[in-house]
Parts: sequence; C-alpha cells; structure tokens
Amino acid sequence: MEAAAIELDPVDVVEVKPPALLRGTARGLEVVIDATADSDAITGAMVMWLDKAPGFFKGSDVRLRVESGPLAPGCLGRIDAIAQRFELRIVEVSAMKVAIPLGVAPGVVDEPQLAAGSAPTADAEVAAAVAEFDDVPTNSGVVPVGPITVEQLMAPHLVSEDEPTLSGAPLALSATAEASLATKSADSSATRVVVGPVRSGVILDHEGHLFIFGDVNPGAEVRATGNIVVLGRLRGTAHAGIGQELGFILALRLEAQQLRVGRKVARSGEDFHAVEPEIAFLTDDKIVVERYQGRLPRNLASSI
Amino acid sequence: MGRAIVITSGKGGVGKTTTTANLGAALAALGYSVVLVDADIGLRNLDVVMGLENRIVYHVVDAIRGKCSVQKALIKDRRMENLWLLPASQTDDKDAVTPDDMRSLIFELKNTYDFILIDCPAGIEQGFKNAIAGADEAVVVATPEVSSIRDADRVVGLLAAADVPARLVVNRISAALVKRGDMLSQADVIEILALELLGAIPLDDQVIATTNKGIPAVLENKCAAAKEFIRIAKKLAGQEVDAKESVGFFTRISRALGFSATPA
Repeated sequence: MEAAAIELDPVDVVEVKPPALLRGTARGLEVVIDATADSDAITGAMVMWLDKAPGFFKGSDVRLRVESGPLAPGCLGRIDAIAQRFELRIVEVSAMKVAIPLGVAPGVVDEPQLAAGSAPTADAEVAAAVAEFDDVPTNSGVVPVGPITVEQLMAPHLVSEDEPTLSGAPLALSATAEASLATKSADSSATRVVVGPVRSGVILDHEGHLFIFGDVNPGAEVRATGNIVVLGRLRGTAHAGIGQELGFILALRLEAQQLRVGRKVARSGEDFHAVEPEIAFLTDDKIVVERYQGRLPRNLASSI
Repeated sequence: MGRAIVITSGKGGVGKTTTTANLGAALAALGYSVVLVDADIGLRNLDVVMGLENRIVYHVVDAIRGKCSVQKALIKDRRMENLWLLPASQTDDKDAVTPDDMRSLIFELKNTYDFILIDCPAGIEQGFKNAIAGADEAVVVATPEVSSIRDADRVVGLLAAADVPARLVVNRISAALVKRGDMLSQADVIEILALELLGAIPLDDQVIATTNKGIPAVLENKCAAAKEFIRIAKKLAGQEVDAKESVGFFTRISRALGFSATPA
C-alpha cells in the first residue's frame, strides 16, 4: 500500500452487500450493516462470521457502520447481545442521514429524543456515534449530520410515545436503482476502489478519491469530491473535484460523454477514439485534456 | 430440478421472442423437456411466433390466480415431443402478477421440466422485474446497434444487482456490413458489455419468413441462423459444441495478453 501513488487506505470494494460484514480497517474491526436486510439476516450473518473464530475477536473494539437506512426496531439491541456473547466492545455506531424530507416539522427534527432511560438496551459502551465529515459541499442530496446517537439509529421504537421522533428522517443513502453500487463512504478522506464495469444507469457518488478498475460505460456517471482515476475506458460522464478548485480525471482511454471538474463542464467531440492515457484538469478556469506522461501536471499533486 | 433462463434485452424489437422460440425448439429437439413462458403480459406474441395462438384456453394469469392448474394452462407443441408454451394474458397488464407469483410459478415448473425459458418484455419496469424474479440465469439479446447495447448494459447491471448471471447473444449481425465498417462487430459489443458470448446470430431472411409463418426457424430449415440457434442451445445445455471461433480478433489478442473479458 505504501508504494501506491494514491493513499488506498481504507479501501471500499463494491460488491453485492451482505446483511452484515466484518472487516479489519486501519481503525480496527468494523461491522458494516446493510439496514435494508432484516434483523434475523443481520444477526445471523454476524454470528456466522464470529463463530468461525470465536476466540480471535474476543475483547476487540468494534465499530458498527449502518448503511442504506435506519436499523429495524430492536436490531441494535440484538447486535449488542451478540457483542456481549462474543465479548466484543461496540465503541462506535455510525451512519449517514439524508436531508430531512419535506413535510416533517422542523421542530421534530431539531429535538432528537435523548431521554435517559428510554433506551434500555443502549449500553454505556455503545457510545454516541459520529461519522466524520469535512465541510465539503456536495451536489448530492446527502447531508452529513452528526453526531447521530444510538437512540436516533433505533428510532422510533425506543422513544416514549408522547415524544416526537425521527421516524420521518430515514438514514437512507442514495436514490439510484443499484443501491449496492451507490453507497457513500462514511469516511470523507477515503479513496474508494470500485471494480467495474460501471454500467449504464449507475451513479457512483463519493466523497474522496474514486479509483475504478474497469470501464465506465456510456450512461454511467462517476462523481467524486476528489480525483477520479479510471483504469479502463471512461465512456460515461465523470465529475471530479466537486466543490473544489482543483481536481483531475485520469483514464487509460478518456472517451467521456462529458467531463466536469469543479464548476466547469466539457463535452466530447464527435466520435473519437483515445489511443493513450489522458488526464483532464482545470487550468485558467478551463478544462484541459492532455496526454498523461506518468506524472501529474502543474500543481495537481496538491489535490491529493 | 430444471433451469429457468430469462431472455431479456432492455430494448424492444431486438429479437427476444424469436430467440426464445428458437432456443426452446432447439433444446426440445436435443431431447430436453422445455416450457416457454411468455412474461409479456398484455402484449403477448410468443404464441403467435410459435403458431399456437388459436389453441390458447388458459394463460399465465389464470394459472397464477388459481383459475386452473399450471399443467392445464400449458399448450403442448404438436410438432415436438417435449415442448410446451405457457402463454401470457392479453387482457391484463404487468401489474396483474407480482415477482413472488412468478417465483413460485417458475419453481413449480422447474420441478417437472428441464428448461424454463422466460420471454421478458421490453423495458425495465414491473414486467422486467416479474420476468427475472424466478430466473436462475439470463440470456441478454443485443443487436449490434448503439441503442441496443446501451439498454443491454443497463439491463446487465440490473441483473447483476438481482444476482442473476447473464450471458450474451448478439442478434442480426451482418458479416458484409461489419466488413464494410458499417456495423459494429460482435467484438465491439462484447467489449462494452463484458459478458460471455453464447453466440452471434447472422441476419437471415429465413428467420423473418419462418417467424411470420408461426414456425421457429430451427424446425423449418437449416439456414445459418437456425444452425447458430442450435449451437447456442447446445452451449446452454452444457454440451460440447464445434470449435468454431466465435470471438473477435481483439478479444483473442487481449486474451493472449491476459486481459480476458471476464463476465461481470
């Protein structure tokens, strides 16, 4: 990993999402939970993983990451029970929250219910969860909100009935059809690695750098607040440096329908075939495409 | 336990129904028991292509609603020993059935027959979701046109999301047009879709003629298209096929270099 030009840690590889996934990260053991799966599937998958090596994980600190929505009622309690059974300590629960849908009274949202005693299964160990974000503006509808508490993740059932809840604000992530491909990393500085081909209709949206092995096909869109590298043909639309002044798009064959860097847009000429790796970047407020000669032009290194 | 294969494409008019009819007839001719399921509810035409239109009494929606047994809704093709058609309803629409209905229907058929070929409607809406619900695998039909390939690419993504492995049939390819550079070659198609190629069906007047007569081309004559349908059927059934090189120059070169076009 150290040898790589771009920091590749931690790494997300896109694949069909299991209900729960255990993995080691730079920060320790992480459990990624797909909230769209039902509680039985999530807990079943966790037990399956843990049963493989019951002693190995003993005493470890674990971070829970909830993806694609709010956890079903009671699910976190069951996960906590599993953690206790295998002697794991849940030190953090993180998730992302979408913008509050219209029609939810603002007052409801401003006062998340944190009443002590209303969350019987919320162990003191289960600390308030925070997903860290830079204040990078994005053009997606996802608004990072933190900290998110255990109570919020478990809303609404643990909150007493006479109090307003957050049930109108699901912790859902993206709105594309292929939800499995469209998740966002909770770590804004992460480079995300995707194994292609990225097919028509898929939108990849990432905070950080995006690294794609394989083609980006026409009709697909890849977007990143950082830079985009495509080890294949880029034939769809790419938007790098969202909300930034700097950024580049590098592809082995740059045949994009449209290139966007920062606030600038360029479209491709008629029917051309790239024959060598090229890099597109902003200079003098224009998008320039030039042959990639094995190093980053001008001041682009500072964008990494 | 049989195998359920959905024939799909995204775009309309690329030859899904013709492919379904011919692959079904070819598999039946190879000795397998085959049921063709028309999932294009409201716009049925697999029965027309099979020449079985005037024998429809019950249809797939009747079977799902329990108006008749599944067996009763099946129409036996008299020309072949072991080929059946489950026709679509013409009066309902795609919302008449749910993916769960289809899943249990296809499961029931798989208990009795070797191959269930599901003719998928065009589009990616409810009809598509119903058609792929019970399928174990998919055959994606694409013609060498950019619009067809774009839609096929989208469909392959949706199939992958639904965990249905897909293979490719390129339909209506014209060697003369490819040679003149006026048509995409099958290698071009594979390069974008990155799928395993089952076969490439040549553009053939005989297919149009036999289709309009309600006879699958593989039963009527031995034209080039019919031979390719039989080859694909053998491949689907896992039989050895003649070692005709069906991949293009660039694919072979890139394979030699180690960049094989692996299925997604």
